[in-house]
Amino acid sequence: MNCRKVREVLFLYTDNEMEEELLISFKEHMEHCPPCAQQITRTQRLLLLVRKRCHRVQAPASLRERILTSFPHRRGSR
Amino acid sequence: MPFVDSLYNTAYRMARNAEDAEDLVQEAYFKAYKYYDKFQEGTNFRAWLFKILKNTFINSYRKKQSIPPQSDFADIEESFESQVSDQVSRRIKSPEQELLENVLDEDVQRAIDDLPVDYRMAVVLADLEGFSYKEIAEILDVPVGTVMSRLYRGRKLMEAAMLEYAQEHGYLRSGEPTKMRSRRDTQTPDA
Repeated sequence: MNCRKVREVLFLYTDNEMEEELLISFKEHMEHCPPCAQQITRTQRLLLLVRKRCHRVQAPASLRERILTSFPHRRGSR
Repeated sequence: MPFVDSLYNTAYRMARNAEDAEDLVQEAYFKAYKYYDKFQEGTNFRAWLFKILKNTFINSYRKKQSIPPQSDFADIEESFESQVSDQVSRRIKSPEQELLENVLDEDVQRAIDDLPVDYRMAVVLADLEGFSYKEIAEILDVPVGTVMSRLYRGRKLMEAAMLEYAQEHGYLRSGEPTKMRSRRDTQTPDA
């Protein structure tokens, strides 16, 4: 595997979607190529940052109520 | 009410406002209830619900944007492809590691919200909801290869946007380590 290929498939690695066969040559390349290894670390940190820092919004209680009352068989049952 | 917070969070990121997000989720639940006989037992219920939400969103989005189906989305995707690679290659040499550590929560959200809709859907489903490529392909009705390319481009765009916002905030000057961390310290005078 060369550096260009590594950059192409790096999200497969960070997303745990890489097949075993590709994974072996990928890891082999990483062991011998500090710039690629660094790129992977950077990408992992970016994805972690997005996951951690993007504030999750919760469904408001009024929405839950609206949904429940819109189901025909539930109407008026609460 | 299964997955309501997760559906709402996704709807909110897609619609980018609370009112539309609530309408989308309510309509999605209503459709799920109505067409429950079409759900195949033993298959992925969560992905099925998200697919209904996605279809509901696309319908309302097209109505609002007056965008005809399919072809125009592909055009949008193409035109962004070159922009992504340009932006990323231009910024790739800056000390972005430090920079990214200093982005604000709002910057991350803005970077997601500003993505073209197709990329945004893929990124939200993968990075915020943790769906696998196969599940995203099922939800979006596209091949796994398309999911991969949308994630690739979407994430590169997002990274470029976050770097730009951080530069706007003045975190990065040449050769100077970034210092500001807390939101209190980084408010702009007109905030």
